[in-house]
Amino acid sequence: MEEGRAERRRRTEAPSHPQGGTRRAGVMTDVHRRFLQLLMTHGVLEEWDVRRLQKHCYRVHDRTATVEELEDFINNINSVLESLYIEIKKGATEDDGRPIYALVNLATTSVSKMASDFAENELDLFRKALELIIDSETGFASSTNILNLVDQLKGKKMRKKEAEQVLQKFVQNKWLIEKEGEFTLHSRAILEMEQYIRETYPDAVKICNICHSLLIQGQSCETCGIRMHLPCTAKYFQSSPEPRCPHCNDYWPHEIPEVFDPEKEREAGTSRANKRSLRSRQH
Amino acid sequence: MLLKPENGALPIPQAEREKDGGRDGETQALTASQKEIPSPLLRETPKEDLSARREEGAEDSALTPKGARTLAARALARRRAYRRLDRTVAELVQFLLVKDKKKSPITRSEMVKYVIGDLKDLFPEIIARAAEHLRYVFGFELKRFGRKHHTYILINKLKPLEEEEEEEEEEEDLGGDGPRLGLLIMILGLIYMKGNSARETQVWEMLRRLGVRPSKYHFLFGYPKRLIMEDFVQQRYLSYRQVPHTNPPECEFSWGPRSNLEISKMKVLGFVAKLHKKEPQHWPVQYREALADEADRARAKARAEASMRARARARARARASDRAGICPW
Repeated sequence: MEEGRAERRRRTEAPSHPQGGTRRAGVMTDVHRRFLQLLMTHGVLEEWDVRRLQKHCYRVHDRTATVEELEDFINNINSVLESLYIEIKKGATEDDGRPIYALVNLATTSVSKMASDFAENELDLFRKALELIIDSETGFASSTNILNLVDQLKGKKMRKKEAEQVLQKFVQNKWLIEKEGEFTLHSRAILEMEQYIRETYPDAVKICNICHSLLIQGQSCETCGIRMHLPCTAKYFQSSPEPRCPHCNDYWPHEIPEVFDPEKEREAGTSRANKRSLRSRQH
Repeated sequence: MLLKPENGALPIPQAEREKDGGRDGETQALTASQKEIPSPLLRETPKEDLSARREEGAEDSALTPKGARTLAARALARRRAYRRLDRTVAELVQFLLVKDKKKSPITRSEMVKYVIGDLKDLFPEIIARAAEHLRYVFGFELKRFGRKHHTYILINKLKPLEEEEEEEEEEEDLGGDGPRLGLLIMILGLIYMKGNSARETQVWEMLRRLGVRPSKYHFLFGYPKRLIMEDFVQQRYLSYRQVPHTNPPECEFSWGPRSNLEISKMKVLGFVAKLHKKEPQHWPVQYREALADEADRARAKARAEASMRARARARARARASDRAGICPW
């Protein structure tokens, strides 16, 4: 019987690895393990970094093998991670659509990964910043507004000066991004916490009309109010000479960004950082 | 889309059935045939499997709607229990990974308090499964140590990198940990060069020269005193003790057990040498000690590999004799 054979195969490949489902899980080798370890260390990585990492892992553990296609490589690992309720998730940065990868929790939906790195009052500061970001029109919360909430924090009393340092810690650990004194969610936080955010703030949350995922930064139609991610508008309006709102058909008033091109990005290289700060925000 | 129950058995909600694949359907239709394919969990605990089968056998002979309902209900309860166990194991794996990232050893009581809860009687089973996942999926070994044997750390079992591979990987940013580890290595270096122990005052003197003061918040290290006296000591990177027969009492630092596991004297000497723009051989005493340490490590590694090979041979022999005997497949 097909199932029996598949299970037997699984057993010889991974003798003591317990499986939950009937889907045939992939095989883990040291290549995959090092990849997982390094991905965990970084928290989140851009696609070109992930490819480099993958090649590095092959070079270290299995020089002679052909490097598997990234998508298959990751699907292979995810089939093994399934029984642990985690997965390598692919997303995109909200400002320019760069593909990113992170190891996220499928089951627990709280800020649990942060919970071990930060104290109770620090976690509460993050939660306050998160709420301001979600409620805001632009997806950004000003440093001043966040710091004004310092008195309402749970746990040990925190001074504003200390709170500034904590916000910098969030930036360093890739939970928040700072731009000109304002904070928004790092794409890692969006990837990891999307489910939690949608469940905790169902009324305040904004959704992209195109991809139906959580939206923090984006463009909105001035007539009917629907919203879209910048990279989603780029793809949607790519070949339209006259962009129109997909919902109310009114003229789309914003500048349409370019679709992300990995080749162009690699040429740009170090100037990427400068490009980001020069680009104007779309709201 | 619920499976139409043939004989009044409980319809099982779709979500649960999808999770378990097609097996639920088979279990539900189980009446005359005993063709239920045991889940891998059942396979691993043959005792439970047998008792389950015995129960089913007894009820099965009734072949009544009530019999089938009870069977289905029991199967459902079993599946729920296994799923809960799976979930707890998964949470424990994540808990251990996250805790290990902070490099602090994890105690059994912490695990029970934050993850295992009222399943604590199943602790040995849960931790064994978690250890297996950590080994197979991530390449970590869960090691028990500490006097009461209730403290655990994770050791990386992946082969250590060659120098050029290490440089390749080092290009990757170490994130928040980089500066702190740098500070730790400076302290380990000082300790080693001073003959494997350094007075607390000497450590603070060195740091003061770097512009780091014990209780002044540092933008890279936070509060250095807390980092060194609490974090590094708790994480077993440093050992801290009072020097006997000193008046006023003085304290000294030495390498902690984790430092001995994760880094070597030769590596630290190499770092110190680079700092001073000299060769390690410039300090003959420390160099000789580092060489001896390298030889010890090589010997220990060879011994471990030999015993692993012996165990593998024994296992192969056992399997061969198994196969010669009664083997279902």
